[in-house]
Amino acid sequence: MSALLDIRGLSIGFSAYGKHRRVLHDVTMHVDEGERVSLIGQSGSGKTVTMRTIIGTLPMPPGRIETGTIHYAGKSLLDLSPQARNRLKGTGISIVLQDPLLSFNPVLTIGRQMDDIIRYADIRLGRARSKADRRAHMIETLRKVQLNDGERVLDSYPMMLSGGMRQRVLIGMALLNKPRLLIADEPGTALDVTTQDEILALLNQLVREEGLSLLLITHNLGVVREMADRVYVMERGHIVEAGSRDEIFHAPRHPYTRKLMAAVPPLYGDKVRTVTHAATRRLLTVDDVSKSFRTRGGLFNRVTGEVQAVKKVTLNIDQGDIFGVAGESGSGKTTLAKMVMGLTPTSAGEIRIDGRPVSAFAGTREFRKLIQIVYQNPGSSLNPRRTVADQLAVPLKFTGEGRQAISRRIGELLELVDLPQAYASMYPHELSGGQKQRVAIARALSVNPRILVLDEPTSALDVLVQSTVIDLLNRLRDEFDLTYLFISHDLSLMRNFCNRVAVMLRGEVVETGLVGEIFDAPKHPYTRALLSAIPVISPEEEARKPKVTKEERARVLATSTELEE
Amino acid sequence: MSALIDDPDAPNRGLNARQMAFYRFRRNPLAVIGALIVLSVVLAAIFAPWLAPSPESAGSFVDFRNRHAPPSWDHPMGTDNVGRDVFSRVIFGYRISLGLVVGVLGVAVPFGVVLGLVAGYFGGWTETIIMRFTDIMLALPPLAMALAITAVLSPNLINAMIAITLLWWTWHTRLIYRIVKAQMNEDYVEAARVAGASHVHILFRELLPNCFSAVAVKISLDAGFVILFGAALSFLGLGVQPPTPDLGTMVATGAEYMPEMWWQAVMPGLAILYAILGFNLLGDGLRDMLDVEL
Repeated sequence: MSALLDIRGLSIGFSAYGKHRRVLHDVTMHVDEGERVSLIGQSGSGKTVTMRTIIGTLPMPPGRIETGTIHYAGKSLLDLSPQARNRLKGTGISIVLQDPLLSFNPVLTIGRQMDDIIRYADIRLGRARSKADRRAHMIETLRKVQLNDGERVLDSYPMMLSGGMRQRVLIGMALLNKPRLLIADEPGTALDVTTQDEILALLNQLVREEGLSLLLITHNLGVVREMADRVYVMERGHIVEAGSRDEIFHAPRHPYTRKLMAAVPPLYGDKVRTVTHAATRRLLTVDDVSKSFRTRGGLFNRVTGEVQAVKKVTLNIDQGDIFGVAGESGSGKTTLAKMVMGLTPTSAGEIRIDGRPVSAFAGTREFRKLIQIVYQNPGSSLNPRRTVADQLAVPLKFTGEGRQAISRRIGELLELVDLPQAYASMYPHELSGGQKQRVAIARALSVNPRILVLDEPTSALDVLVQSTVIDLLNRLRDEFDLTYLFISHDLSLMRNFCNRVAVMLRGEVVETGLVGEIFDAPKHPYTRALLSAIPVISPEEEARKPKVTKEERARVLATSTELEE
Repeated sequence: MSALIDDPDAPNRGLNARQMAFYRFRRNPLAVIGALIVLSVVLAAIFAPWLAPSPESAGSFVDFRNRHAPPSWDHPMGTDNVGRDVFSRVIFGYRISLGLVVGVLGVAVPFGVVLGLVAGYFGGWTETIIMRFTDIMLALPPLAMALAITAVLSPNLINAMIAITLLWWTWHTRLIYRIVKAQMNEDYVEAARVAGASHVHILFRELLPNCFSAVAVKISLDAGFVILFGAALSFLGLGVQPPTPDLGTMVATGAEYMPEMWWQAVMPGLAILYAILGFNLLGDGLRDMLDVEL
């Protein structure tokens, strides 16, 4: 049996700014009929270029195919006429893109956007169907992605659907014209882990029931383990390792694959690092804190309602703790962080740092020397138009340091976060993501605070870079006796980094305790649902994940198949 | 130091942003032409007394034997109704035009930029007051306003400058306001606040640098329009007064001798077109180069 998709010796180069760079080197891979294949690699490894070459959307120029062939069902794609190639879109090869919001046109209904896809495919194939037929086909397709309320979904606008539903509709769109090969680019990555879990299960089911072949492009090893029969590992445009799923996961041969595996924080098993820290002096207390936001609208901007972002949260954090706050998007964890930083006032309750209420001294020099924050995305938290040294100097300047002291301290700080001194005069865009985050950490440390609030500090980074940043944070904590308030949705990371954890759901803390207790014996059904949804990289971990029944899950989580009222 | 070596996405070793921007500019022939035109206009204005074939033509020089001479080698743009060399007057005319540009934009841009920064950063009532005032100013028909102001103040170059300045800052306020509003969503503004930075620091050290490219493009596009606006006022007799060699005044005087002695009006007109074209091409090129949206 010949392969459905067969890529041989594909090399692609880019010419930009008068320079030529090869981004894919002799890539050879194939996907058989009914097979699930994963292409895994870090950002910039060339996975997306590969995908775009297959579907024919790589901009050329600047891109250029230097050598190689791509065959789909025996036909050489690169030799087909543009019309013949277009006919394959959606009907032969279909694609599910990463971002479920950006992939829709916000001003057209879902129905209109799906109808366009069918209509144009029909035109390309020289068919014609009535409007009612097309609508019936859409509803049937939506049923395949478990959206049973098809009529209402079709009449909705993209923003009226939840992220999970949008992802389902996107998958439905890809299936409309009955493709044989589905290419999924990081499906569910932009979604919460519990929703991602549902989407992955759906894709697996579709591959089985519809007899599809799947080419999955991802950076997440856990997802690969759940979704692939065969795996290709890509590093800097080279396929460095290929093999069956079990070969790759049990006996990775290439050092890069091994490095990737080692960098994934384990959720269970011997490799887990349990951080313990004896209770010491109380440093930060969050006492029965709530926060509500008023929603406004209508004529004269009246107050139309109230949203409770944080409800009666109580936390006690000791000197030296690495306290993790876990939760999905909308759980209120970032609002909590802003209140701790004194950036947003509390609606009720009190936050005290070192015994003093935050509301009483937020914004003072003393407060700043006590607590600082590292943001999620260093691309946004560093000013693109100021040099590294300029940005490191800001907190020092406003705590009254002299010019000489500031420049000395900048040198110390760069050394502290393992950056060469020469970086002081660079602009953020000259640094990699990991290096930018190091600068952000250095800035937060510049005035020697005792507490650092870490708001998802590694979620914008690749897993290899993440592990180096986490190592750095651990070292700094030991060196300066820091206390961390670590906010994240990544529970595997939290397992290995924090000593105490609180789990938040819709503004409330549902469970809190030592990291071992929470992960090994989760009590609340939400914690269990969250843990069971995490993609892990070994069957041992899989076996130790808590089990949740469907009913239990439904009680705490909204599914992505129902429209909200 | 092992952490650094492990860092898989090493620093960008390619071109830096400035080199990339310059590359984009160089690859855009129209932008290069625009830059050359602007350069020629600026050099002509600076070195006018040395470049002009007959510098005395700039003043109230009279040579009736040569009046209404068509373009020739001696007078590339012909002579006017009192025998002055039009080419020399055009070169001196650029001095006036560029002086107007520098005067108007030198006041209007900083004023507009500061108001835009303040409105976008502070929000609330400050924003409402500044932006609604800007809207009111924008609602007034500019030429009618300029005519009214110069007519009231007495027509001369300085008053024309004041009139145009009073109308011009609004565009910059709107532009900067929009950019600042977008930048306020970036974490670096909050990060600066957490670091204890003062309002002045955030406004001028953090936010202003992020507005530079947009302002540069806008200034370049503006320059052409200011020249045109000044010429229009002079044409109507409300700007620069004779015998000062202003392009607009020259077109107005020359128009009386149309169409037989066309060069007296057409040549200064082409000179205006040349300068505006240069600034606009340069502005478009800068916009592509700096990748800003206006």
